[in-house]
Amino acid sequence: MPEDTYKPLLMGYLDAELTEIEVLRMEQHLEQCPECRRELGEFRKLKEVTQNMRVVTPDARSWEEYWSHVYNRLERRIGWILMSLGAILVASYGVYSLVARFLLRSDIPLVVRLGIVALVAGFCTLLISVLRERIFMARMDKYERIKR
Amino acid sequence: MNLTDEGSIIERCKKGDREAFASIVQHYMKPAYYVALGYVGRPEDALDLSQDAFVNAFRHIKRFDSSRKFFPWFYSILKNLCMNHIARTRRRQEYSIDEMAEEGPVPIPVETVDPEQNALRRDLEARVGQALQRLRPKDREIIILQHFQDYSYQEIADLLGIPIGTVMSRLYGARQAMRRELERLGVR
Repeated sequence: MPEDTYKPLLMGYLDAELTEIEVLRMEQHLEQCPECRRELGEFRKLKEVTQNMRVVTPDARSWEEYWSHVYNRLERRIGWILMSLGAILVASYGVYSLVARFLLRSDIPLVVRLGIVALVAGFCTLLISVLRERIFMARMDKYERIKR
Repeated sequence: MNLTDEGSIIERCKKGDREAFASIVQHYMKPAYYVALGYVGRPEDALDLSQDAFVNAFRHIKRFDSSRKFFPWFYSILKNLCMNHIARTRRRQEYSIDEMAEEGPVPIPVETVDPEQNALRRDLEARVGQALQRLRPKDREIIILQHFQDYSYQEIADLLGIPIGTVMSRLYGARQAMRRELERLGVR
């Protein structure tokens, strides 16, 4: 076997994950290869240093509540979809009513109709602009993790 | 690591059965958390992103082929979320006005499963946590799973959908990097 094949197998040897045949082959190779013996020694030291260490896991309560958090997010997403659908329907009806009740009526002076169009367009522009800014700021806010 | 009859549970999920999905979530929540922690390095983000990934998985569960293992498919969703999160965090740092006040990488919290703690051991834990934080996400992921949570090679191969040979070669590279980082931090 080429030298490079043994390097990853060193890991299996170190962690006792090799088959008996692989272990024998690895031990034969180690007898002849000072480089692999040196590396194995260094990996053993690393294992000793980190022996019995674990990454700190969330507490038991976080695991108990894990599913309910996932469930709430699932439910909220459905809520958002329904709310957005409703908002689109209501907004469409609003635009339709605006056009039908005011803009197409010749008895209302043109200035008033133009004023209503400008008012609605301005309000919508401002609303979208503020919303966009808020969303952008929320994404870029580097203090978002700081608890007040 | 085996979930009895995962395929039929997934079929129930496809019909919208949330109880069935709860059993999938409860079975895989810990590996999901460790994988996310490997990518993003912050426990609270890892918890959050792993939960989001389950939400996305449920939304797209109909596209999933239930004859296959769930976790490798879920892993690709989770990985994408983590990569987006990393990109967003980088952008936020670029937009930061106060660069001097920018916080450095926070070490991954590491603890020893041993009641007899002393100052030296705590110092070592802090350095190991720092070294872990400095690794590339891919290296960190496999080190956390194998080195710090004792998953077997077979379990890692099943989780990540890679052959055992790849587990060993990735572990080899990751451990080399970990050794280098620890040496840089004065741990020999």
